[in-house]
Amino acid sequence: MMINKIFQKIQKADIRKFRFWIQLFLFVIFVYGGYVAIDVGREIPVFSCGYDREAGGVCYFMSLQHQLARPWERLFSGASLGVLSAFGVFILWFIVFNKAWCGYACPLGTMQDWITALRKRLRIPYSTYSEESFKSLKKIKYIFLLIVILFPLLIGAGLLDPEWRGGFCKMCPGRLITPMFVGDFSQWSIDFSSKTAIFLTTFGIAFTVVFFVGSFIKKRFFCFFCPMSAMHYIFSPFALLKLKKDGEKCTKCGDCYRVCDMQIWDIADDVKSRDILRDDCIFCLKCVAACPEEDALQVDIVKWAIFKSTKGGFAKRMGFEDETE
Amino acid sequence: MGFYDSSKENIFTTALFWGLFWPFFIVTTLPVFGRIFCGICPHGFLGKYITNIGLKKKMPKWMQNRFIGVMLLVIGWWAVYYMFPGVYRTPFGTAMLFTVMTLLAFILYFFYRDMSYCKYICPIGTALRAFGKLSFTSFSTYKSACSSCKSFECAKSCPYGLSPFNFEKKHSMDDCTLCMECTHSCEAVRFTFVKPGYGIYQKFKTLRAEVWVYILILAAIPISMAFSHGLGRSKVADEMIWAKTAAFFQTFIDFGSMNAVGLFAFLYAVLFSAAAAMVGMFIASKILKKEYGTVFYTLGYAFAPLFILASMAHAWEFFFTSNSARIVEGLAWGFGMNIDIDPFAKRGDTWLEVFHIFRWIAVAWAFYILYRRMEYIEASKIRKLLAYPFAGLLIFFFIGVNSYRSYILDTYGRAERSHSEHSMRAKTLFQSVKADEVILLQKGKDAASCAACGMKLSRFYKTNHAAIFHGKERQYCSIHCLTEEKKIKNMNLEQIQVVDTKTLKFIDAKEAFYVLGSTKSATMSEVSKYAFAREKDAQEFVKAFHGEVVDFSEALRVAMKDFEDMKVYKTVDGETPIYFTDKKPFIQKGKMNHSGMGGMMHGRDANRVPSKKVWLVTGDDITHPLCVENIQGRFFVTNVMNEVSIPKVKSKEGCTAISFEMPKSGYYKVYYIAEDEHSVNVAKYEFKRFDHSSDEKYDKEMMRAKTIPEVPFDILRIRSKDETFYSRPTTGEKLQFKVLKDKKPIKDAQVILNTQFGWQKHATTDENGSVSFTLIKDYYPDWDKYNKRFREKYTLTARYKDVEGKVYAMTLQDEFRPSRSEYQSYAYGMLITLLLLIVFGGGIFLYRYRIHKPFKEVRIDDDK
Repeated sequence: MMINKIFQKIQKADIRKFRFWIQLFLFVIFVYGGYVAIDVGREIPVFSCGYDREAGGVCYFMSLQHQLARPWERLFSGASLGVLSAFGVFILWFIVFNKAWCGYACPLGTMQDWITALRKRLRIPYSTYSEESFKSLKKIKYIFLLIVILFPLLIGAGLLDPEWRGGFCKMCPGRLITPMFVGDFSQWSIDFSSKTAIFLTTFGIAFTVVFFVGSFIKKRFFCFFCPMSAMHYIFSPFALLKLKKDGEKCTKCGDCYRVCDMQIWDIADDVKSRDILRDDCIFCLKCVAACPEEDALQVDIVKWAIFKSTKGGFAKRMGFEDETE
Repeated sequence: MGFYDSSKENIFTTALFWGLFWPFFIVTTLPVFGRIFCGICPHGFLGKYITNIGLKKKMPKWMQNRFIGVMLLVIGWWAVYYMFPGVYRTPFGTAMLFTVMTLLAFILYFFYRDMSYCKYICPIGTALRAFGKLSFTSFSTYKSACSSCKSFECAKSCPYGLSPFNFEKKHSMDDCTLCMECTHSCEAVRFTFVKPGYGIYQKFKTLRAEVWVYILILAAIPISMAFSHGLGRSKVADEMIWAKTAAFFQTFIDFGSMNAVGLFAFLYAVLFSAAAAMVGMFIASKILKKEYGTVFYTLGYAFAPLFILASMAHAWEFFFTSNSARIVEGLAWGFGMNIDIDPFAKRGDTWLEVFHIFRWIAVAWAFYILYRRMEYIEASKIRKLLAYPFAGLLIFFFIGVNSYRSYILDTYGRAERSHSEHSMRAKTLFQSVKADEVILLQKGKDAASCAACGMKLSRFYKTNHAAIFHGKERQYCSIHCLTEEKKIKNMNLEQIQVVDTKTLKFIDAKEAFYVLGSTKSATMSEVSKYAFAREKDAQEFVKAFHGEVVDFSEALRVAMKDFEDMKVYKTVDGETPIYFTDKKPFIQKGKMNHSGMGGMMHGRDANRVPSKKVWLVTGDDITHPLCVENIQGRFFVTNVMNEVSIPKVKSKEGCTAISFEMPKSGYYKVYYIAEDEHSVNVAKYEFKRFDHSSDEKYDKEMMRAKTIPEVPFDILRIRSKDETFYSRPTTGEKLQFKVLKDKKPIKDAQVILNTQFGWQKHATTDENGSVSFTLIKDYYPDWDKYNKRFREKYTLTARYKDVEGKVYAMTLQDEFRPSRSEYQSYAYGMLITLLLLIVFGGGIFLYRYRIHKPFKEVRIDDDK
């Protein structure tokens, strides 16, 4: 009975408030954790940038690029164990929470949500992509993922200038933005020591400007291009936390699509797939909260449903709870 | 092969078998096409005809055992291979084996029907069937056509007595060899491409022999190879359990010509692998609460990719490093020609490492198959999850063996190769001769090596020199080493002799004719020098390979040029400071030093303790330091805890070097102290070792600069307040030093700072013994040569004369890097930010503005 009551309570919870506080808490952990000696490792599956000297945990791409850039004779012999063990830790982190890392933990994602909140205050309308541009833009993240993995390997083989070491990090807006929160603005400079360095640092600044402008007018603008999101999607079939949809209960009302920050069409339109997680999904659960149909959308951990779309929850969130009860 | 004396080892047989047949026909085709090899097997080809005219009896039950074939392969071929490594390398050995197998095959074909030999006795038949499961081709029939067909033409036409119409239902092609006989009788037979390993994920009737093929072949080939060829060739080979067991048995059994170590390596490999598989599966079966046999033979299919992909890694690498060239050479050699081809790649080329990835693919695939095969066991998810690692114990064992081998080879190194196994051999040079043609004049344990450099004399025999030193013969690899001892070390060498390139006999060097600068390779020098007894031979050599003929004294003069850049300081006067450097102090001709990590072994392996090597040098020019000889002083090394120890000092070629291990992150110091009643000379080197992959904390007290009681005079670099492991001195930074005499700060000591590019600054210590310098930028290369990580060296020299007139001199060498502000610009960063902000922000504003505008205009028009 007790458990049932708690479950009922969860169904009616204000997911937005819950998410806001979790995001704030994890933002503080990841960005300021170093001040209180928090260190959750260097295999974190979100853009918690290692250039921030007080980071409480570091983005896995930083160590991945570093490890893969080793000379091949080491990479493919003894050092491969290091790569595999770090990868194992990354997978362990990831499979528990799945893409909820994006919606709840990523400092860069949190920043974008705050920018969106600011935009709302200023009563400036937001933009969306057309269906076609959405489809082509979402491929960019896989190109970035290729850069993350392939370029260090080429350095290790001696085919690429070592100046490209950590190439993606140099391009990533996280490198410029995250350290600013601890008062370090040193990343906002152009490195003139070589042509590659000039290119990479300029690209980094340009991408950061695009990040700010873009996320101001488009919700979660950067996440469409995020290679970590692409990496997540590859391993999400093995994750414990799942977003599931019961197509038979779906009426295709489109409420879920309208609340989706990532413009995922399938959430409303696909009534065949059980596992409705898509590569752009940030697992924010707004869709589940917005769904008026009983049990049409649900969040499972292993096989237990922890959060479901319910009529009661929908009514409460929409503010007409009294009428239905 | 018949071209030549077949009992002798020849390169063609090895190349053909190991270079072509093995990597391409077996290892590569299996996971691709499955048993396509059987289609071209000469036994099977003739067997089809022999069976037709044969007795067509049914094979007796005891022979219908696939383990016969498996055991023939594992024991008859591989165990013998490890016992007598040479046996299959001769055409004779190979021919004998194939003759026996062929006769056996023909007899069995004649007696029994349905090609039973292929199924049960053929050593590779079952193996191919087993590994064929991984292939991504499938052979089956169109179901719709078969369901209505009652003629079974296909089954009648099959020489192996199989039923192709059942293949799809059984998810197995059974013993199908892709002979395609059935296609003649029915059109509903199809050959398709499927996902790799498709068959192995399906439910099919498991076959015990197949699982054992995976385990035994994995043990017999990759794991035994790792034991006997990988670990067995490391420097600690004698410590391995099989070597010890062999040594133990050798005390009372005479193994004769048998390679006992190889045999035990093989036995242990089989024992360990079988144990890993059986114990793991046993525990898994207990967890799953299922019968052991079911679990073992259902999940055992997961071991399939391990061998085949690991072999692919090995075979391809060897194909590129040596076999490709061996095949061409071997072919030419078969026709009596003698040519020398360079292989596509050298051993140790980085790109070859890409083939190692097959091993990791194998492991990943094996784990995946295990996961898929788990479906066929009925148990709860939790039980499956718990049983999974145990069922995969053999896979972990395989990873373990591979990692252990790289660990051992990285840590202890490869032992010197004395014989060449597996067709790998050191490339012979023009100056190399066979061991039995070498004349060794010197005696003793190291008689076969150069007296000066230790290189193998036989490898450079045609440039060998010899001389008598204090009545004892010394033999050198080349005139280079002779010159080194005669001219540089000023050893009194008499009766110098040289090898005549033509006759390979020693002759008097003073009467020899030297050919300098020919196109044939040189030994330890840029200029090749070959000697001849007769002038005519020398002239002929010049005609063929260019160069010029000179006498011994000229040859010696040219050899001396090798040493010109290498100046060796003989004595140390009081004025020139002595200091340490981490850069090897002399530059040999054609052999540039790396300006980088000089002697720093940078954590090659996580388990290896990094070490650093420094040389004691002198001279005014920091960039071209000179070695110090005649060292009378003492050396000390301190570790991160400031604990003093006495290091090993090595002298080579007149240079003195100290190397020390750095197990932890922190500061390590090396001191050199030379003392007499008038003066004290101290040289100091301080190095901060930091491994950023470890979680070591920067302990300020531990990192504080400290002196040691053994040194009477010291300079300390005072750490700044916010120094961490990551800090490095850069230009523009103010460095603080403190000069101590008998552990007390002293006033009025003269301190001079010298940088690599010649900037100099003098200062005098204050009451606290302190002195400070601001590092200026004096590194101005061309922009395209600019290195932001450039480590500019500086030396600090302190001098002090006490009241008794005793002179104290001290040096400290360190380095600094360009500061970020030298090459990074905020201004440009901000400019670009602003520009882009205006462009993008403005662009979006305009875009939105325009979208709204036409709407307004329409309204205005309406009003009018």
